[in-house]
Amino acid sequence: MKRERLMQWLRSPRLWVAALALVAMVLLPLWVSEYVLGVLTIAYYFGVFAMSWDLLFGYAGEVNFGPTFLIGIGAYVSGMLNIYTSVPMVLCIAAGAVAAVIAGVLLALPALRLRGAYFGLVTLVSVLILQTVIVLFASYTGGEIGFSVPSILSIDSGVNYYYALAFMVVSGMVLLAVARSPMGLILQATGQDPLGAQALGFNVTKHKLAAFCLSALFSGLAGALTIFYLGSVSVNTVVDLAVTVQIIIAAVLGGRRTIVGGALGAIFLIVAAEYLRPIGELSNLVVAAFALIVLLFIPDGFLGLFPRREARS
Amino acid sequence: MTLLLQVLVDGFVIGALYGLGAAGFTIIFGVSGVLNLAHGGVMVVAAMVAWMVAGGILHASLLTGVVCGVAAGMVTAYATYYLVVRPAQRSRRIPDEEREIFILTATLLLGIVIQEGIAYLFTSNPVTVPPLVSGVVHVFGVRTPTNELLIGVISWVVLGLLWLFVNRTRQGKAVLAASINPHGLAMLGFELPQIHRLVWGLYGLLGGVAGVLLATFEGASSGLVGGLTASAFIIVVLGGLGSVPGSLVAAYVIGFMETVTAYLISPAIRTLPGMVLLLLILYVRPQGLLGRR
Amino acid sequence: MNTSARKTIWTLGSFLAAMVLVAGVALVAPAAHAKTKAPIRIGVIAPFSAIDGASIINGAEMAVDEINKAGGIEGRPVKLFKYDNHASATDAVRAFQRAVKQDHVVAMAGTFISEVALAIEPWSARLHTPFIVTGAASTKITGEVHNHYARDKYVFHNWLNSDFQGRVVCDFAKDELVGKLGYKTAVVMSEDAAWTQPLDVSYLKCLPKAGLKVLDHIRFSPDTNDFTPLFNKVESEHADVIIAGWAHVGVKPTVQWHQQQVPALLAGINAQAGASSFWKSTNGDTEGVITGTAGVSGAAVTPKSEPFTKAYTKRYHTTPAYNAYSTYDSIYMLKAAIEREHSTNADKLVTGLEKTDYLGTVGRVKFYGRNDLYTHGMEYGKDLVQTVVFQWQHGKQVPVWPHRVSLAKLEVPSFVKQHVAMNR
Repeated sequence: MKRERLMQWLRSPRLWVAALALVAMVLLPLWVSEYVLGVLTIAYYFGVFAMSWDLLFGYAGEVNFGPTFLIGIGAYVSGMLNIYTSVPMVLCIAAGAVAAVIAGVLLALPALRLRGAYFGLVTLVSVLILQTVIVLFASYTGGEIGFSVPSILSIDSGVNYYYALAFMVVSGMVLLAVARSPMGLILQATGQDPLGAQALGFNVTKHKLAAFCLSALFSGLAGALTIFYLGSVSVNTVVDLAVTVQIIIAAVLGGRRTIVGGALGAIFLIVAAEYLRPIGELSNLVVAAFALIVLLFIPDGFLGLFPRREARS
Repeated sequence: MTLLLQVLVDGFVIGALYGLGAAGFTIIFGVSGVLNLAHGGVMVVAAMVAWMVAGGILHASLLTGVVCGVAAGMVTAYATYYLVVRPAQRSRRIPDEEREIFILTATLLLGIVIQEGIAYLFTSNPVTVPPLVSGVVHVFGVRTPTNELLIGVISWVVLGLLWLFVNRTRQGKAVLAASINPHGLAMLGFELPQIHRLVWGLYGLLGGVAGVLLATFEGASSGLVGGLTASAFIIVVLGGLGSVPGSLVAAYVIGFMETVTAYLISPAIRTLPGMVLLLLILYVRPQGLLGRR
Repeated sequence: MNTSARKTIWTLGSFLAAMVLVAGVALVAPAAHAKTKAPIRIGVIAPFSAIDGASIINGAEMAVDEINKAGGIEGRPVKLFKYDNHASATDAVRAFQRAVKQDHVVAMAGTFISEVALAIEPWSARLHTPFIVTGAASTKITGEVHNHYARDKYVFHNWLNSDFQGRVVCDFAKDELVGKLGYKTAVVMSEDAAWTQPLDVSYLKCLPKAGLKVLDHIRFSPDTNDFTPLFNKVESEHADVIIAGWAHVGVKPTVQWHQQQVPALLAGINAQAGASSFWKSTNGDTEGVITGTAGVSGAAVTPKSEPFTKAYTKRYHTTPAYNAYSTYDSIYMLKAAIEREHSTNADKLVTGLEKTDYLGTVGRVKFYGRNDLYTHGMEYGKDLVQTVVFQWQHGKQVPVWPHRVSLAKLEVPSFVKQHVAMNR
């Protein structure tokens, strides 16, 4: 039986396409310029932001307007540790991720009692408060301007590319595994019918909290890695609401409730921004308008264009 | 003493402006169940058009500018409804249980489109609409720009007219009824699409007036779209979604808190106490101060 | 995990990877034919939608067009590459990478936001590409060069940092406000941003020396919309003049100062007031406002200032903001450096730029050396760069200081205390 499934799996043409493409992703640095690698590096980190967001939006049905609260905490905690202490960079990054999870729990514990717009508002306000606090303590945080961190991951574009690729692939696999696990199904059920799920005996809050923590972990980690890639941390890179909007656009474009769609959308977004560079200031408008059209007419995103095999209940 | 009076005068004006901006936002929610996250866009478009016509580019009269600005606010509101909200409400591809978050996201994106469009056409630098009246008056010894007081008065006149409309006219009563139970109203023979058209027009009018008034006082810029939306969102949730009186109370609570903070502590953290209060209230009483649901 | 789920994952994965591939191949294609050696490639970066950003781009465009008309640099034409950073540090870093790795620029100029300049700075070092900051005021930019010379030597700051901007204002205050109007007291009122921290330190130190007692020091959030509380405070303290440190804000406090008829003169650094469109944005409420800037119509700071202002105004139908001057000069300094070293090699360019002694539109530009506090920063001084202070008078920017460029006397708006000198 097991062997039969394995054989079936091996015969699937998708597997070979996928494997080939993944190998290509790994080999990409051999034949593209450093510049393209730089663009994709950012896109991969952004992909993790969007995938983490999708776990809450797509599965738990919570519209989180504050992904940058988690990302920002991860980035600022790790960045400030790096600048004010002699803690090695790896520990700074870990500390940033832990801080993001703690902040996420503090925010989520009460917030998860709220639904829909109320939850959205609380998460929105959390970002605004974080932003105010950063500006208020400008002498420590660099305020509006931010600061440059002494350590960076690597100068080499190829190395940075592989860090980002590995990070995205691992995050994507963990997030996908969770989303496809019973927990993901429960989340999905609570997103669609919270009372029903509760009536079935599921501890809705517990599962949502777990999802939130996971989202926070990867958001914080990605935030910390991004700043050690860029070599600087500032409000408009990791906290500003404009970043939130980009994350939402990425996840929506790629296709919600797919996890991978977030990464796909992020890559599309960042690459599109490069192509739209000639139209200058209009590029943000075009991207937002395009996302709006996708949202209204193909609400399942790019991946929605490819019908899934499994029946949706 | 002077300080107290300054806070009172300033808080009165700020609260009135906030209330006016939030009133339309909450009515839309009551009737259509829509939280329009492009709300700031309606206000800023109105302000920019008023500035373009009366101030910077066309040099027409101030009245023409104000009228054009408010009209532009209404056009934006209708565009929001017909191009974004209604398609999202009717799309069969969007599952019902996710419609709310889809509309939230769609209007958020529309807000970005408006913001970027304004930045492209008018640059991202702020502009101000010429004051309705110039000069200053002394209110209990506090020198206040006449325009500022006039803004407060106009806001209250418009809110008064809104009250009269809702309580004294047939159409207004229908709007009120629709906000309580849209389906019941449809059964009574009212055309719901007509009600929606009316409500979104009303919303554009209120948002437009608020936007133009704000721009004569504090100025407006593309970057303000998000902040104005957040501020209306906060006030409306604090007051209880769908409750106009609640919004007015909340507008004044926030307005005075901000003013007191700005005067006594620092303008840098002006918005902080309001946001913290919002979090506390949401945790204790999620339906807001005067909310029903 | 069941088979179908796995299949889905693989489909998604393959689609994702295919996209990356397409993107990679598509992006790399245009780079292939970018190997021609003839033109010298120079980049300019700014947020296009801001007034101060557009002026950076325009200033660079004017310099490049002029240079090309006059035969280029050592016979080679100059090709200008423009990058929009959307006022975002991330966009700026990406643009800088693109400029260096894809467009192969030999140097980059631009940016008036310190935050953006500081984000690009490490990349300028890592990619060994000279970067001339043509606006921004943070002392951190040159501080980094001073502290890590070997690494960060590629960065030059072709604009006065906030320490010097503070001194400009104090020198002006001493001559005009104290000397001619008899003012005695001031309130320092700056937006809370990193560039104003050294500015305020400078103000607080030199204003008393100039003869103005500082009654209060106010820092406010750049997000502030309602300035009434602050102006009421200033009024209750009976200050003669408000010394501003504004760049992110401008229209709002200026308009409210006028509408509220605050009885104190408004002077200092009000960067946005430097653009001619400021009159329109404020509906004329900027009347009477005084600010320091690079150059202004009618101010013959150097023989090059006026012709530039006129040509710019003719071409773009608006007067240049301060950083149009500095960006315009920067391109010429790059030209001089390339000609001096006969090379576009990054390290040679740095050597060449360090030797800069250039009479530009803002003054005579030299850069501080390795052992100075502000390494690679613009030198400040009477015979070097001192900038201009102007006042908005009847809808025009009229230079009022220093004496050699001044065209008119200060005018005190009607609502500001008129007879300070006589009263005391």
